[in-house]
Amino acid sequence: MVVALRAASVIAFVLLWEWAARVPISFNFPSPWATLTALVALLRSGAILSATATSLQSLALGFGIAIAVGVPLGLVMGVVRPVGRVARVYLDLLIALPTAALIPLVILSFGINILSSAVIVFVFSVPFVTMNAYGGVRDVRPRLLEMAHAFDASRWQVFVRIVLPSALPMILAGIRYALSRAFVGLIVAELLLSPFGLGRLIMASRSMFEHDRMFATVLWTLLLAGVALAALARLEGRLLRWRT
Amino acid sequence: MTPGARESDLGRTGLIAVAGLLIMWEALGRLDVSMFVLPVTTVAAAWWHLVGDGTLTRAAASSLVSLVKGFVPAAVLGVAVGLAMGRFATVRHLLDGWVNALMSAPLSALVPVLIALFGIRDTVVAATVFMFSFFVIVVNTLTGVRSTDPSLVEMARSFGAGEFALFGRVYLPSALPAVMLGLRLGVVQAVKGMVVGEMLISLVGLGERLIYYGNTFLIAELYAVIASVLLIALVTSQLAQALDRALIRWK
Amino acid sequence: MAPRPVEIVVDGVSKAFGTVQALVDVHVRVRAGEFLSLIGPSGCGKTTLLKTIAGLVAPDSGRVVVGGRTVEGPGRECSVVFQDFALLPWATVQKNAEFGLLLRGVPAAARAERARGMIAKVGLAGFEHAYPAQLSGGMQQRVGLARALAVNPQVLLMDEPFASIDEQTRRVFQDDLLQLWSEERKTVVLVTHSMEEAIYLSDRVVVLSPRPGRVHQVLEVPLPRPREGAGVRATAEFARLVDDLWKVLRKLQ
Repeated sequence: MVVALRAASVIAFVLLWEWAARVPISFNFPSPWATLTALVALLRSGAILSATATSLQSLALGFGIAIAVGVPLGLVMGVVRPVGRVARVYLDLLIALPTAALIPLVILSFGINILSSAVIVFVFSVPFVTMNAYGGVRDVRPRLLEMAHAFDASRWQVFVRIVLPSALPMILAGIRYALSRAFVGLIVAELLLSPFGLGRLIMASRSMFEHDRMFATVLWTLLLAGVALAALARLEGRLLRWRT
Repeated sequence: MTPGARESDLGRTGLIAVAGLLIMWEALGRLDVSMFVLPVTTVAAAWWHLVGDGTLTRAAASSLVSLVKGFVPAAVLGVAVGLAMGRFATVRHLLDGWVNALMSAPLSALVPVLIALFGIRDTVVAATVFMFSFFVIVVNTLTGVRSTDPSLVEMARSFGAGEFALFGRVYLPSALPAVMLGLRLGVVQAVKGMVVGEMLISLVGLGERLIYYGNTFLIAELYAVIASVLLIALVTSQLAQALDRALIRWK
Repeated sequence: MAPRPVEIVVDGVSKAFGTVQALVDVHVRVRAGEFLSLIGPSGCGKTTLLKTIAGLVAPDSGRVVVGGRTVEGPGRECSVVFQDFALLPWATVQKNAEFGLLLRGVPAAARAERARGMIAKVGLAGFEHAYPAQLSGGMQQRVGLARALAVNPQVLLMDEPFASIDEQTRRVFQDDLLQLWSEERKTVVLVTHSMEEAIYLSDRVVVLSPRPGRVHQVLEVPLPRPREGAGVRATAEFARLVDDLWKVLRKLQ
């Protein structure tokens, strides 16, 4: 029954799309079929795959560094309380700020290249990785710390055997959320930056009024992000098997 | 809990931290570390100038209009859809795939689609604002309704409550905190959508000013606009929090 | 004034949930104004039975007749008190006590007055504007009782009402309940796990067998009333009755 409903909503969406393509609200609105054929053509020509590779490079670079920097920073913030209290203010501001506003500044500072994209991805994702690592450490159940103390555990042992495993779910959740933010940053950066990656492909198709190619690339991008997030969620599930 | 849902609570530590940052920034700026790090005072002067000649006010006004035009429908529709999805399993199964997928998707990828639909106009900004905030509001509302204590529903039924009474007197008040959370998160997302939308169409508003000053290397002005954007983000967030506190006093 | 208490007839009720048979062919007759307890091992269906009387659960076969009318849904004759109190956390004590009246369409002024009266009756005068989160378990249940009594039911149905309350508070509450009941006689059906409670409060105790639940035995409790504050628990008669009940229950474990 549930499956039927889900299938029905997908079918309804495709029909709605088909209808929208026929109604002349805006010229050159591609139909589902046109989008699909354009996607296949783009795949065949390799255009979309090379754009994906470029995009993923920036993403991997920026996101990887965000994790490498953010997790330790968050852990330090959680363990050394004064650092946490102060740094938290900066991070809250960074999270409150619409990060896209920083993009022109980054481009000015680093130029129009992959480094800029990576930096933007970094800025988009690092606050969430850090805040979640911080939160994970802070929210360790006091009872567990008390218990470890009762067994006379050293500070290092407490950190490795209690704090880290306890904080892991939140750290992973933060990484997963940060990945979705990273994609947002990547796409906005590329839509603005061109001439790189999937963003460039989208903008180029649009300016040439090849709307079917544009739609195809947008669809591909969304699917890519979806797959990446799902993969990360699966990994997270495996790492956290003890949480029924 | 959604990462980043912590509100910025500027206490004493906060003020000291911010003051420290500003002082360090001023120092680095004066030391001429890089042409892209300007002293706070220079930025403040540029900001004042922009306010004076009306550029900033005009841009901010345009941005805020788009924000309201996009957020209000997102809030109304989002809560309605969330309530429907929470209450009726059929609606939920029909829509939750889409809602969940789109909530974590890079919605900015859809802005070019919006441009194709509406052309290069400020409607695109309102549409982007709507898109960015709608799904968060739906998901939180939906969660709120679904987490209603079944014991309360049974109790109300035992006193003869019909569907309407159940909805209005049990489900709705029970879901209110979650709905408010959704609206608070939605406001934050709405402001982000506003900036992204304006930057991508590069036509009006603060986003356009960001692109312009970036292109013309007017760095002090660029910082000034960034600061304005941050200010708007903080004010709207605080307003949403205040509303939340005013409405929910029973926790 | 308070309406007359009525008789309850459970006539051959059976109920299954999926493949689980909760109740099979249950026959119970509760006299008007009687205080009856339902007791039995876990899973014997006593709560399910209470809910069929309340009209919250429809029996698969058989029927329940309250005051001469077959139960087909939650009715005005019955009022329920819940184990987890089921208070609206966003409403004050006053508003919570008014809730049943509100749902039955009683106008605001009458509601407020009646609820306030009940709140005083259960000993919570002065707490009208407190929220449930500010109250102890015992106090919260008193609000639940006030709410149930405010709608002037002829039947009071109580689902392990004292289970989440500490023992000392429970004893005081039990005496207060008996006191209230003696002032305004209602037919009461109480589900409990506690043998002592069942004997102390009731006129009769119905023992249900383990799943599928049926009536295993009915014990009379001929202890004189009033029992509150009369040191009944210390009498040999009381101890004997509890022991008799235990003997019956032990064989069912």
